[in-house]
Amino acid sequence: MNYRFVVKPELCIGCRTCELACSFAHARNGKQGRTRIFALDGGFKDLFVPVTCLQCEDAACAKSCLVNAITRNPETGAMDLDHEKCVRCMACVAACPFGCSLIDEQHELVVKCDLCGGDPACAKFCPTKALEYKPVTVTALRPAI
Amino acid sequence: MVSLTINGKVVRAEEGEYLLAVIRRMGIDVPALCQHEAVEPYGGCRLCMVEITKDSWDGWKKYVTSCLYPVEQDLIVTTHSDKVNDLRRGILDLFLARNPETPLIQKLAADYGLTRTSYEAIPEPNDCILCSICTRVCDAMGFSAISMVNRGHGKEVAPPLHQAPPDCVGCLACAQACPTNYITYEDVGNRRTIWNKQFELLVCDKTGRPTITKEFADYLIKNREIPEDYFRIDDASHREELADKMGRITRWSVTEEAK
Ligand code: FES
Repeated sequence: MNYRFVVKPELCIGCRTCELACSFAHARNGKQGRTRIFALDGGFKDLFVPVTCLQCEDAACAKSCLVNAITRNPETGAMDLDHEKCVRCMACVAACPFGCSLIDEQHELVVKCDLCGGDPACAKFCPTKALEYKPVTVTALRPAI
Repeated sequence: MVSLTINGKVVRAEEGEYLLAVIRRMGIDVPALCQHEAVEPYGGCRLCMVEITKDSWDGWKKYVTSCLYPVEQDLIVTTHSDKVNDLRRGILDLFLARNPETPLIQKLAADYGLTRTSYEAIPEPNDCILCSICTRVCDAMGFSAISMVNRGHGKEVAPPLHQAPPDCVGCLACAQACPTNYITYEDVGNRRTIWNKQFELLVCDKTGRPTITKEFADYLIKNREIPEDYFRIDDASHREELADKMGRITRWSVTEEAK
C-alpha cells in the first residue's frame, strides 16, 4: 500500500468526468458499469465533493459480509469485492456508513471502488487534480493533531 | 506449485486448488451447475466431469468431477473428449427429464446436441435443478433456514415442515444465488415475502426507500457489530451526508486559510 487516493474538494469543479471515467473503467460485456464515485453538491455555492469509498481500516462492508466476499487487497490496499462470491444480500450496501457499496442494476451486481486495481481511472481523468493517486511519502500519513 | 496438463497445455496451479478453478482460469468452458464461489464444492450436478490420466497409469483413465478434484502433479486432463461429452449428454438427458422447461437446462442441453429428453419428462416440472446452492449459501451465511428434504424424485428445497422458516431473516441470498430463478420472493412497499414468511423492510429516513429487512439488520448489529445508526438511511443519503460534512470542512478550511 504505497499509494494513497487523495481527494481535494476545494479543487473539484463538479464536471463529473470522474464518474464517466469510472463507469467506463468498470464496463462489463460491452456495457458501462455504474460509477463508484460521485461528484456531489457540497452544500455551498460552487463547492463539490467527490465521494467514493474510503477503503476504511475497520470496514463495515467487510464486517457485514457473511460470506467474506469483501477482503483487503494487499497490493492496492483497496477493499475488493469478489463478484463470484457475492450473494447480493445487500448487507454491505445497507451497512456502509458512506454509501459507497452500491447496486449496479444493469449488471445485477453489488459494486464498490476497487481503485481500478492500483491505477484509478478517475484520478487520471480529473482535470483539476481534485483527485490524485500519490505515493505515501508525498501525502502525509496522518495529520498530527 | 504443481504443474499439470489440461487439454494439451501445461499449466501451473496452487497446491490444494480444485481442477475446475484452473480449467476456468484457462478460459475453458466446462458446465458446472452446482458450483458457487461462496460455498464449498458439492459435486451434485456431475456436469463438471473431466477425464484424467497420468503417464504412469498405463493408459488407465478416470472420470472425476473437476469441482471436487484437487490438482495433482503431472495430471493429464481432458475436458471435452468424446467419452466426457457422452457422459455429460447422459446427465443432461436426465436434467431435461426433470426440468424440461428450464431455459438454463435447455440451453446447456442444446450445446451438447440434445433438444428433448429420451426419458419421460415429469408431468409437473419446476425450475429447481437440485443444485443446493441456495441451502449451502444459507448455511454459509449462518442462518440454515432452508434445506433439502426428501430423497429421490421427491427431493426438494424447503423450509422446515414447509412452514415459514423461523431462522430466515429475508436476506434473499438464496433467491439471488439460484441459477434458475426458481426461488421467488415479493417486495411490495416496505413488505417482503419469501418462503411464506413476512418481513418488514427498513426504510430510509430521508428518501423513504426500503433497504434490508429489520431482522437482517438486527442480526448484523448484534453479530457483526455494525452500529445501529448505519442502517438509518440508504446508500444515496449516506453519500449526501458525507458530501455535506466534507463540504463544510472544506469551506471552513478554505476560509481559515484566506484569513
Ligand atoms: S459443478 Fe462439479 S458436480 Fe456440479
